[in-house]
Amino acid sequence: MEKYIENIIRPKIQGDGGEVNFSSFDGEELTLIFRGECSKCLILDRCVKWIEEEIKKDMNLNVKITAVRKKPFFWDN
Amino acid sequence: MAHIKVTRRSMRPEEWTALRFGWLKRYIIEDKYEINTLEIRDARQVSEMKYEYYSDEYRPLKRGDMYFTPDGTAFIRGTVTVPESLKGKELWFTLKTAAEIIVKVNGKYVGGVDPNRDRILLSGYIDSDELHFEMQGYNRSKPDDERNPESLSVRGCRQIFEGAYLASVNHDVLDLVYDFEVLLDIAGSELFNEDYRAFLNKNLNIAMNFIDFDSGEKLTGVKQAKEYIENVIYANTDYKGNGSVALVAHSHLDLAYYWRRIHTVQKNLRTVLIQLRLMDRYPQFKYTHTQAYTYETLEKYYPDVFRELKQKIKDGRFEPVGAMYVEPDCNIPCAESLIRQCLYGQNYFKEKFGIKVNNCWLPDVFGNSWILPQILKKSGVDYFVSNKMSTWNDTNRFPHNNFIWRGIDGSEVYACVPPTHFITWNMPSQIQENWEAYQDKNTGGQTMSMFGYGDGGSGVTEEMLEMMKRFDKISVMPKTEHMGGKEFLEKNLKNNKELKKWDGELYLEMHRGTFTTKSVLKQFNRRLEYKLREAEIISVLRAAVGIRYPKEVLTQCYKKLLINQFHDIIPGSHINPVYKDAVEDYEWIDKQLELILNADTSENYFNSLNFKRNCLTFIENEKGKNIRHGKNGFWCVPNLPALGCGKLSDATTDKSDWIKTGETVETPYYSIKFAKDASMLSLYDKQLKREWVSGEFNKLKIYADNPGVYDAWDILPNYKEKELGFDIVTPLKLLGKNSEVCEFTATVKIGESTWQRIIRLFKNSRAIEVENIVDWREKHKLVKAEYDCNVLTREAVCDTSAGFIKRETHSNTSWQQARFEVCHHKWCDLAETDGGVALINEGKYGVSFDENKMALSLLRATERPDTQSDMGRHDFCYMILPHSGSFVDAGINKTAFEYNIPIVKSDVSCSNNFDGLFLQAMKMSENGDMVVVRLSEQDGKRGELTFPKPVKILNMLEEVTGESDKISYKPFEIITIGI
Repeated sequence: MEKYIENIIRPKIQGDGGEVNFSSFDGEELTLIFRGECSKCLILDRCVKWIEEEIKKDMNLNVKITAVRKKPFFWDN
Repeated sequence: MAHIKVTRRSMRPEEWTALRFGWLKRYIIEDKYEINTLEIRDARQVSEMKYEYYSDEYRPLKRGDMYFTPDGTAFIRGTVTVPESLKGKELWFTLKTAAEIIVKVNGKYVGGVDPNRDRILLSGYIDSDELHFEMQGYNRSKPDDERNPESLSVRGCRQIFEGAYLASVNHDVLDLVYDFEVLLDIAGSELFNEDYRAFLNKNLNIAMNFIDFDSGEKLTGVKQAKEYIENVIYANTDYKGNGSVALVAHSHLDLAYYWRRIHTVQKNLRTVLIQLRLMDRYPQFKYTHTQAYTYETLEKYYPDVFRELKQKIKDGRFEPVGAMYVEPDCNIPCAESLIRQCLYGQNYFKEKFGIKVNNCWLPDVFGNSWILPQILKKSGVDYFVSNKMSTWNDTNRFPHNNFIWRGIDGSEVYACVPPTHFITWNMPSQIQENWEAYQDKNTGGQTMSMFGYGDGGSGVTEEMLEMMKRFDKISVMPKTEHMGGKEFLEKNLKNNKELKKWDGELYLEMHRGTFTTKSVLKQFNRRLEYKLREAEIISVLRAAVGIRYPKEVLTQCYKKLLINQFHDIIPGSHINPVYKDAVEDYEWIDKQLELILNADTSENYFNSLNFKRNCLTFIENEKGKNIRHGKNGFWCVPNLPALGCGKLSDATTDKSDWIKTGETVETPYYSIKFAKDASMLSLYDKQLKREWVSGEFNKLKIYADNPGVYDAWDILPNYKEKELGFDIVTPLKLLGKNSEVCEFTATVKIGESTWQRIIRLFKNSRAIEVENIVDWREKHKLVKAEYDCNVLTREAVCDTSAGFIKRETHSNTSWQQARFEVCHHKWCDLAETDGGVALINEGKYGVSFDENKMALSLLRATERPDTQSDMGRHDFCYMILPHSGSFVDAGINKTAFEYNIPIVKSDVSCSNNFDGLFLQAMKMSENGDMVVVRLSEQDGKRGELTFPKPVKILNMLEEVTGESDKISYKPFEIITIGI
């Protein structure tokens, strides 16, 4: 899962000015850290759902993603 | 008694007008028919015109469906028959979207929709009731679209499809909407006369009262409202405005920024297409577009649109502006790179459109080097346009907008720094703001206001042109005139004797971090600039003995280098994929140049410098016992003649009695006391009998670097307020010594990062080299190497790549205070009349001076736009060079060339060494007719060159301007000759 997030999902997120890093996965719950533009995206939930769908499609796994936003200090207000 | 602020809670009349204005806009679309047959295929662009698809098949796309993916491109298609209700009417296509979508109908490009526009006129472009749509969309989180508040609400990677429609437009309503839009902007702007605004608020309310919003689908009162506005508001001349503003249409297009260069191919197509379609509808509309590279991609991938564009250029309506190949950063690229920007740009415009562009158009560039005017002038460019200094300076107001810019060599160009931003939407308040900010009202003629959405292209909208049609009817507005870029410059600046003059660099008092951010790119850039020089010179000399000159590869390499000098690539202000693209490009260039250079199997080494090479140099060699930049080699003084070759051998032995190590290190030149972190407590010069250290010297200084949103761009004036420490992991120790060099090393820990420094002392050189090997894992830290020199001076001298610039080291006035971080090239120097200290680098551009201190900026750790910026391994060197006399007497510039230009193996030589000038370039001319030699005076001297027989005198576009066997040159002059 970590490799999938790093190699398949991350480049796409980076391509949009965002950043995603794997944090943990217990077989069902996947925790991802979102930085960059993602950290303040108003519709991140849509993107998270898309990642869940991609994991289902590519890995045949049903996961529930917990998205953790880490904003840089200048957006952290 | 407590003061109670009285707040009006009920609706004000102007709010009532604004509310109804929103209602009025709902009636623009008279009739619409939803296209229910659309299908979509999600993809991701992986290179120019190549895509990876998420599925093999298209899927249906219905209103309410999710569409677009992160970094996604979508292909949408569908066929629809025009319904009876719309037949015979002017037909439009509407799609409200956050994406940037190019629309083709029945094989014809009809236009584009994006966050700034949601309608495309179909009538006139279709000849059938059966319409087949093909759309290509690209979606982005566009940070700068915050300028357009309407687009802010629709940002994000995953979008909800709001439906696509065939529609007809109610032109009476639309016309009235534009009247309200232009007048409401004035009514809401404090820049305009208060009484007029009250007059507007009152009468716009009355005009709106004519409309009966309860009258059903067909509004009544629209014509009466329009008549009222014409007869009462537009007819009123009691209130007078003043000023004269030229409105120049333009769209700023970053080749890479929050998107990769591969995406710009479509961004450019969409932008061009939109302007062409507006030209079809608005015969007076003229538009300016920069960057030969963008025309090249359009020609390559969209020849139909390019043909149309070519015709519009011929008609004088679509105007190529900016003579350069791309809009480069103008701090970091060296003189030859800037010349090539002009050469390749102008050659393209000449070849494809038969024109020479007489202006340089760089609206968004982060300051401009003093060397530019000469380069422009000798590249057929008389005018220079750049906006940033007026709108972004953080300390001083740049004093001119229309003026003459005098360059380092005395060359002059007409310059325009428009008073306001290069992205505006042509609203009256923006035009008024431009006029009020204009500082050359009495001398400069009209002021330039650029309009059009940009950064990622997009450009002019119908609204902007409709606004413009109304300006003449509004008495409080400045007089406006829509014109082209060249037209504006020639009308207002040409032969204008009143213009004031600015002599010096056009320093931008902002974005000072871009000299340092993304260190690796800067290092690549410097190395490859000189490697290209080497490859061209060697290839010319080989051609003289019949070996084919690899023109195509060299041109490809140069163009790739120039693209990566774009003002959001080399400065480091971009997302991570852009960085990866740049590194990939640099590695490709490097490989191509290696193939060229390695074609020679000679054992001889060639000196491409046109002076004898006598500085100690590191020669890479597998058998060498020393290691530098991770490669084996040996140190030697080459003593190679100017443009000559010879053998070099490794004479290194283990004998090291030239140096004494201990508490004080003794070399033939210095007695040095080191601190444990490799900084120097004392650097006593035995030859010059003086101490060079006055405080912290060769000390790593780590500062909290928190510039805010402009993270990659800025270093703030107060960065020194919070200094962070480091821990010494390995105190200074002897690493090794031999007959040529003695190395010490120390390693410190900065946060999570390790920073090793290797100090090299030499037997045969006064130079002291510092190699830095860093594993960098920080956030928001700036590292500098600081040198508190025992030197009394009020000015520092910095290399510009084509001569030097002197900068004050005091902070007497706000102008010096603002220059707390500046750009330099290969070296900087602090000196008294009889000696000083120079720092020579191999790819560091940021430096600061404070009285007798100089501090080279080494690394930053920014998070926006790239969370990974500068993370990872770095290996870079620089050299400390104490010297006698001035920097000219000490030959600092020549030493810096030797330091930056490696010696390569080749068995070539040249009999003419152009003594006194620096051989900046030697290449085959673009037409292949002659050898072009570019020579640069860099010490501030005059002189004369003589040749055995007459040579052609060329401009920088390689056009012959004369012929002579004798050429006089003046300080900092760049001369191009053809042989």
